[in-house]
Amino acid sequence: MRLLAELARTVDEAARTATEIPQLADSHDLGLEEAYAIQALSIRRRQERGERIIGMKMGLTSRAKMNQMGVHDVIWGRLTDAMRVEDGEAIRFDRYVHPRVEPEIAFLLKRPLEGLVTMAEALNAVEAVAPALEIIDSRYRNFKFSLPDVVADNSSSSSFVLGAWNRPDIDLSNLGMVMRFNGRPVQVGSSAAILGHPGRSLAAASRLVAASGLRLEAGWIVLAGGATAADALSPGLSVSLDVQHLGATGFTVK
Amino acid sequence: MPDISPDRIEEAAASLRAVTAGGTPIAPLRDTLGTNDPTTAYAIQEANTRHWLSNGRRLVGRKIGATSRAVQTMLGLDQPDYGMLFADMAFTDGEEIPFDRLHQPKVEGEVAFALKDDLDGEGLTIADVIHAIDYALPAIEVVGSRIKDWNIKILDTIADNASADLFVLGTRPVALADFDPVLCGMVIERRGEPVSTGAGIACLGNPLTATLWLARKMVAVGRPLKKGDIVLSGALGPLAPVTKGDSIELRINGLGSVRAHFG
Repeated sequence: MRLLAELARTVDEAARTATEIPQLADSHDLGLEEAYAIQALSIRRRQERGERIIGMKMGLTSRAKMNQMGVHDVIWGRLTDAMRVEDGEAIRFDRYVHPRVEPEIAFLLKRPLEGLVTMAEALNAVEAVAPALEIIDSRYRNFKFSLPDVVADNSSSSSFVLGAWNRPDIDLSNLGMVMRFNGRPVQVGSSAAILGHPGRSLAAASRLVAASGLRLEAGWIVLAGGATAADALSPGLSVSLDVQHLGATGFTVK
Repeated sequence: MPDISPDRIEEAAASLRAVTAGGTPIAPLRDTLGTNDPTTAYAIQEANTRHWLSNGRRLVGRKIGATSRAVQTMLGLDQPDYGMLFADMAFTDGEEIPFDRLHQPKVEGEVAFALKDDLDGEGLTIADVIHAIDYALPAIEVVGSRIKDWNIKILDTIADNASADLFVLGTRPVALADFDPVLCGMVIERRGEPVSTGAGIACLGNPLTATLWLARKMVAVGRPLKKGDIVLSGALGPLAPVTKGDSIELRINGLGSVRAHFG
């Protein structure tokens, strides 16, 4: 337990100070369960600094992401209020190690979701849906990591930007998505890439957090996972996302 | 255009037809001919088009290829390419496709347009294209290559009728005004798994822009698009491989779905 707390401090400090670190798995033999324990402990440190948990993110939900990262499992991380960037706001590049951005769909829950649920039950608990951009920033050198490494590092989650909320009575199974850098398309995809339907990702989220004794709470935001591969950010960029039927969101990098 | 004799053009065209007739895929033509020149490539394609037309195949439309930057970069092109669609290449939603007729097949999801007017004359505009479109359909294009291992550059694919094999059209026509050609989501599923995803914008920014390029090109080469023609406007996402026995479904948001069975 002391070791886990120590590793939690390592990843928390790396995130807090935007400093890259070697992979934990290089020097420790970590399983997935221990990795989630480290994530929980590192987020507790943030909570002790006054941050509030407002939701969770799903990771590695698309084939493109799995290929990019060389792993084959869906993973999750926690979202805190300090990670939220207002639509249209500028982020500071020096607050990150080597940030990337990917297009997603966000859910807002009106009812809790606990344990095994069907996709229909999961979607019935949804208050609203929005286009979302997630800024992922692995704290590991060269963005290279094993599955336990990335899970311990809050599944690379760093910040997120949401567009306006839409009523949830939209067929989410195949929404066209285009992410642009300075007005030029860099990623084109469909929400179908998110496990075939973003609603499946929401149901999976409920199931996965149960293993850590948690449930998805009413009022929480759930990021369903990237619909395409992620692209590296750099200072001066203007990033935007358009999602069919859901509208747009964006931010700039300074 | 490099100095390639008409005989060698005919020879290259015949070598592709031999593969179509059941022969094994051939070595890259760019190596055989010692050039990667697109004009030579279209001369080979045209030789085969004339051959097929004189042998009774009916021209029913065109396909646009290399409509994404990724594919253009891979081929070394700075614009799309085109190929001919013949009636015997057209399949209908759910129809069994004889796998043995294909050549190292892969599938892609596209928007097909059917024309109700000719697109002829100089200075065609996007408005002319919009006026001429009768309706849109979802289409699965089954591409193939008569070149061994898909080892293709510009010359190989253009000469090989833009790597066309056949195509499957949906049967519920949709008016242009009733779907979003730019933001429409596209997914191809195989056994319930998404194997290719994308959106309309992946096709040159807009499938209508690609169609305008084609219409102008067809006027320039003297084979203008005609009333009744079908245009396969280009892929909305990456190619996905298929094998014998596969059944795949393409869905384009707003355009509906179409299935292909490979028997």
